[in-house]
Amino acid sequence: MRVLLLVVGFCALGAHAADPAKILRITFQAAETGFDPVKVSDYYSGTVIEAIFDPLLTYDYLARPAKLVPNTAEALPQISEGGRTYRLKVRPGIYFADDAVFKGAKRELTAPDYAYSLGRFLEPKNRSPYAFLFEGIAAIETPDRYTLVIRLKQPDLNFSHVLAFSLAGAVAREAIEAYGDESAARPVGTGPFRLKRYVRSSKIVLEANPGYREVVRDGERLPRIGGVEISIMEETQSRWLAFQRGETDMEYQLAEVAPTFITAQGTLRPELARRGIQLERSIDPEIIYLYFNMQDKTVGGLAKEKIALRRAIAMAYRIEDQIRIIRKGQAIRAHYPIPPGVAGHDPEYRSSIEHDARAANALLDKFNYRRGTDGYRRMPNGEPLVIRYSSTPSERDRQFDELMKRSLDSISVRLEIHKDRFPELIKLENQCRLMMRGAAWIADYPDGDNFMQLLYGPNSGQSNNACYRSPEYDKRYEKSRLLPHGPERDKLYREMTRIMETDTVWLLTDSRYRNVLLQPHVKGFKKHPVLHAEWLYIDLALPR
Amino acid sequence: MRYLARRLAQFIPTLLGVVLLVFLVFNWVGGDPAYILAGKIANPERIEEIRRGLGVDQPYWVQLWIFVKQVAVGDFGASWSTNERVSQIFATRLGPSLTVLIPLLVVSTILAMALAMLVAYCRGSLIDRTVMIACTVAQSISILVYILVFQYLFAYKLGWFPVQGWGGTLGVNLFAYAALPILVGVVVSLAPDIRLYRSFFLEEINQDYVRTARAKGLGEGRVMWLHVLRNAAIPIITNVMTMIPGLLAGAFLIERFFSIPGIGREVILAVERSDFPVIKAITIYVAIATMVVNLAADLVYRALDPRVQLR
Repeated sequence: MRVLLLVVGFCALGAHAADPAKILRITFQAAETGFDPVKVSDYYSGTVIEAIFDPLLTYDYLARPAKLVPNTAEALPQISEGGRTYRLKVRPGIYFADDAVFKGAKRELTAPDYAYSLGRFLEPKNRSPYAFLFEGIAAIETPDRYTLVIRLKQPDLNFSHVLAFSLAGAVAREAIEAYGDESAARPVGTGPFRLKRYVRSSKIVLEANPGYREVVRDGERLPRIGGVEISIMEETQSRWLAFQRGETDMEYQLAEVAPTFITAQGTLRPELARRGIQLERSIDPEIIYLYFNMQDKTVGGLAKEKIALRRAIAMAYRIEDQIRIIRKGQAIRAHYPIPPGVAGHDPEYRSSIEHDARAANALLDKFNYRRGTDGYRRMPNGEPLVIRYSSTPSERDRQFDELMKRSLDSISVRLEIHKDRFPELIKLENQCRLMMRGAAWIADYPDGDNFMQLLYGPNSGQSNNACYRSPEYDKRYEKSRLLPHGPERDKLYREMTRIMETDTVWLLTDSRYRNVLLQPHVKGFKKHPVLHAEWLYIDLALPR
Repeated sequence: MRYLARRLAQFIPTLLGVVLLVFLVFNWVGGDPAYILAGKIANPERIEEIRRGLGVDQPYWVQLWIFVKQVAVGDFGASWSTNERVSQIFATRLGPSLTVLIPLLVVSTILAMALAMLVAYCRGSLIDRTVMIACTVAQSISILVYILVFQYLFAYKLGWFPVQGWGGTLGVNLFAYAALPILVGVVVSLAPDIRLYRSFFLEEINQDYVRTARAKGLGEGRVMWLHVLRNAAIPIITNVMTMIPGLLAGAFLIERFFSIPGIGREVILAVERSDFPVIKAITIYVAIATMVVNLAADLVYRALDPRVQLR
């Protein structure tokens, strides 16, 4: 009997490689909101959820651009009816982490768990911020314990990305029902980690899930680390000093002090490199842009003089200053609506809108935007020309206001800054009542469709904040939805980009760098464009 | 007893005024929370759904009446952004705030009283002038500067304290993590406290009873520590007590920089997220605490000085 126990004990030890002594210490710069996948929209909660729950599909950790791979599904989905039906099989033998709600029994993950979990996004009582990703689902069927069939209202070849979305992990119905409102603080998933200690807005401690299924990389079972200790530190100075003192292992939210650890060439400063500190640098899968409201009576519409006005403003705007001064050099110029690392990005594409205040002035002169006695230009019909630029009262937005003022001064166009609270700006934006504003979009999933839909006419009042309606653009977009990622769809995306650029709906400005600092003992980290809980793949070299 | 009942009765109109003010201010400048909670893409139907769920689609008078009922029963519901019960938020955040504030108040009050008594005793001397100039300079520096410099110097450079953090036990928190925030708080509050308390001591030192005590041959130590201190302590205690409610919610800078999960940090978080249930609960609790503390201060005043009559 003793021998049997020893053998069982040895096998159990070998099966679970996570070393409890290896605790990764990281920080979040803002507080999480909870760990119920359907109820959150913030990056921080999403990162923890990604570590606790398992979607059907995920992304290869190392492949760039991001590549879909099965996670709890046996294989990638079988897509039929031109992208209207998705069929998947859940791998048998995957179990939820032990929890009191299961009353001591092992709880296997099954297809109905995914049917329930995906359906929760559409339940009004959950007020899910990501409901829009799942609104295309017409029905979910589970013909047997492990098979899941998802029928969509419209063909959608990108729906696989939705199934890999980090919040689309499986929850157990009995856990959600038992914990009710507390489910945000009592997550029970099948992922590599489980919640060990939680002090809201302060400390999140995860431990390796001892029942995690066998995932092997380089001959070692994952996760290698025994846990993750996350501290919420809002202030940059605290995070920076804590990292330098060795109180944390990874730090990636130091944009404000980036020049103190990065050289002008984008490399780590020698004094830090000598200490063995590592820098992992990547471009966030995001675009930042200025948009014009195409329904506005001053800047909107497709008449030539309106296009000329928008083009002149875009040409006057100093993107280089935005990158150099506001971003402190930690961004690159965005030329294409699809950022690097996202399927459909075209690294060769160059925007036709370059900074040239002289040409901008000439353009305005040509279309009769004449200067008045006060030195500012007037509309071609002689009425005053005032550009109303909207922003929030934050310190960061004040910097953008100043840059916009300097830019428009260079073409003698009067600027009026409209200040309002963020929710009010969104409300006005959704009603197509703002004239001009800066906006940003970060990938929900790493496919160009997630970006190109931002200019699709029927999305006006939702994600299409420019309220742009172009039959030429919309026709191509609808066609692109029926194509998989490939040269044919890329060609359509290029054409759509040129159409948008010709109409000068947006001025694409930049995409920011993500600079991750790592202590010397952190091994195996590589920033993924959309996966954020890379802790599954990380190792720590002990002793510290 | 009648005095106490009258003061307690005065709480009701004051509280109603606070309720009305909070409600008006939030609805005027707070913005529509549905647009924050709706996420990146939301159609008008979903926005309306969220507004219905939050109850902000109701007429203003209905919303106000719900608010009054919440204040009456002390249940502010759940946070809009985290679904956590507001009562739970306060129950868990009060401990860390008090772990910093109680030692801070005790240490700073004792130090400020001792120093104020010293400079008041040698009024006009070099010590008095030096301390007063130092206080004026120290008072003119922002708390942010103290935090940044102390964190950099004592935590990062000298390594005497952790840069930030919060542990699981009172001992660890008090002696490791709260030590530097308490030090910052003491240094920041010393200068204004010394100036204020000095004036209290000076007022007492010039009283007839002090002259009489000296004339009767009492030693200076006994005059100062027994008679002057006892009388000067009355306005000092009042001052300390009235500071407590404001400090609880106002210590957000210290709590943010040192990652202390206290009430002040929660206030900022709630404002950033337009989390009305938390904002209104904090405002009401601070208003109630202020009224209770003021009442308690009056009662303490009466206990310390029998000449005071409460009417």
